[in-house]
Amino acid sequence: MNQSLRLLIVILPILILVFFAKVLLLDEDIKFSNFESKNFPAFELNDLNGDPVKALSLDGIKLVNVWASWCITCLVEHPFLTKLGEKNIQIIGLNYKDSDFKANAWLEKYGNPYLFSIYDPRGDLAFDLGVTGAPESYLIVNNQIVGHIQGEMNQTKWETIFLPLITKAKQGS
Amino acid sequence: MIKKSFILFSFFILSPPVFNQMVYEFEDSLQEKRFYSLISEIRCPKCTSGSIASSDAPVSRDLKNKVYELVLDGSTDMEIKTYVSERFGNFSDYRPSLEGPNYFLWFGPFIFLTLMLSIFFVKRRV
Repeated sequence: MNQSLRLLIVILPILILVFFAKVLLLDEDIKFSNFESKNFPAFELNDLNGDPVKALSLDGIKLVNVWASWCITCLVEHPFLTKLGEKNIQIIGLNYKDSDFKANAWLEKYGNPYLFSIYDPRGDLAFDLGVTGAPESYLIVNNQIVGHIQGEMNQTKWETIFLPLITKAKQGS
Repeated sequence: MIKKSFILFSFFILSPPVFNQMVYEFEDSLQEKRFYSLISEIRCPKCTSGSIASSDAPVSRDLKNKVYELVLDGSTDMEIKTYVSERFGNFSDYRPSLEGPNYFLWFGPFIFLTLMLSIFFVKRRV
């Protein structure tokens, strides 16, 4: 009895230490890996050319990327998005709290990796999506939002968070 | 002197409407009370260790405006919190609901305390 208690006194602090170390050292992005999938919210907006976006076709695998011309980090992730676009990943832009004039100029200057960009100057659709700022990215599989990344999209996040979700979706279908 | 007091006076006259971003007006004091208690119980999604009441992040401003709108529309506190958590996740509620894994969150510390105390007393008796 006494011995097992003594053992417990040694083991318990170690367990607690390991537990907290693990929680603290965990990459914050992990919290998005157990994202609960949900439907894409309904909306009525135009694209950046001023044409209404008709019932967004979200079949297959799509990436919705929230961006703005005032957003500096969007410029950081821009080359990576361009690379994804070249790999035939379909990316839909969500232009967030921006002006269409500046947004179009931005695309002109840096290149346009998007199929098209939804123009959301007041951030209404973004609010329904739960966007906290730009940039953010949502992974959509067959009309369902299955993943969400806040902040810059890069190779590591793509590989560790979105790729496994895509693989899972492909296995499921 | 007159000039000085004129400048001082103009500060009082000009500053509030110009620098106040949003003044929330309510139909009654209950609505007002509910609004302020709600915004202190909803976590800012951007600055995750503060409420939206304490934050001036653009998303918190949007959230406050939405909560204000919903309070005026007559939504209940529960409905408003659900509305927010549907969009920003359970994480947004500073007082997590009693369900699922949240039981551990609420009762975990007490279970832990009981465990520790029982070990302590068992050990003392030996």
